Amino acid sequence: MSESYNADKETFMGVPRKEIPWWPTIDYDKCDFCMECDKFCPHNVFVKREEENKKLIVKNPYNCVVFCRACAKICAPDALKFPEKRDITKLIKKLRAEKKED
Amino acid sequence: MKECFCIIPCNGLDKSLGVITRNVALKLLEKDPDMELVCPVLLNSGDKKYDEILKMNKIIVIDGCITRCATKLIEQRDLKPLIRIFIPDMSKIFKIKPSKELILIEQGQELAELISNYILENLKSSKEELRLVSRKFGDIECFDVTVDKYYFRVPKEGYYFNENDCWIKPEEKNALMGITDYLQNAAGDILFVDLPELNSEIEQFEDVGSFESSKTILQLISPGSGKVIAINKELEKNPEFINQDSYGKGWFVEIELKDFEEDLELLMDGPNYFEYMKEKIMKEKNHFDQIKSEINVE
Repeated sequence: MSESYNADKETFMGVPRKEIPWWPTIDYDKCDFCMECDKFCPHNVFVKREEENKKLIVKNPYNCVVFCRACAKICAPDALKFPEKRDITKLIKKLRAEKKED
Repeated sequence: MKECFCIIPCNGLDKSLGVITRNVALKLLEKDPDMELVCPVLLNSGDKKYDEILKMNKIIVIDGCITRCATKLIEQRDLKPLIRIFIPDMSKIFKIKPSKELILIEQGQELAELISNYILENLKSSKEELRLVSRKFGDIECFDVTVDKYYFRVPKEGYYFNENDCWIKPEEKNALMGITDYLQNAAGDILFVDLPELNSEIEQFEDVGSFESSKTILQLISPGSGKVIAINKELEKNPEFINQDSYGKGWFVEIELKDFEEDLELLMDGPNYFEYMKEKIMKEKNHFDQIKSEINVE
């Protein structure tokens, strides 16, 4: 199946998506592989791997919608973590300012 | 017939979260004589036993997981709950992670106890007068576009937008916020809204509430920063206002602005957002058309 987005071309607020480190991190001490997050996310951020120890990984981090944390909201064991929004906002402002200077 | 509260737990027997819903229901039954238990299995079988009490009384729905079986049971009957409990949310509020056992041990029991008290506390306040804030919106002049069966509007002036498809409408020191037509169309019929607490301080891009349709859960990602001074309580009774009038009576919250000049740095005006939204819609349309053609080829 084709991927949702071509991450190389995507931008967010004028900044290349690949320069914004926003995606969920799975805490494997907490995750019970219920797969609710994968069922929920329409952007194919996660991928299931039945044969592996880590049965779920973040496969397409740049498909993740910047500032969306809905998967963490539905995660019962609270195993999904995101960066601080404040830090990401600062970074986006900085990158935009640099772009303006160029 | 005596007035009561109907409790519908999902009663999922194969997950500890489902078992917790059953225990919460039993505890409520024990603690409050006004509670009436509705068996989801009997209800689902099409039996008419509960038809009348469900129509006449307030409903408390308790779901264990995102499948939301209990919610679906009442949606099928065109009913709306007074209180809806989602165990993973409660688990976070009370900082208790239930174990996976199907017969509840200490932690699961403790969580069920706390949730049952939480519901009783909420019932108290729901009996009190709710703070209703209604506002008048004149005609809003909009850009509009129709794609397939979907109709999208974007106000031409007075509103600003972030790339997460949420709007802010500043009025002197305060501002209203809500979601755009793009987001309400993407969600489909919105059934529940979860609004923030009054007086909470929010930063730009923080989640200021969430809303659910039968398809998905989405969040309002704040276009502005400041203090929540009003919430649109009417959305709890009439969440369809968001679908019907996302820029007017479907507003979510009002904030007292902290520094709108700074917020503006990362916002778009109406004409810019309209272009951005159209591009996003077409990208998605092309993506789905491509998937459809791939399926047809296979």
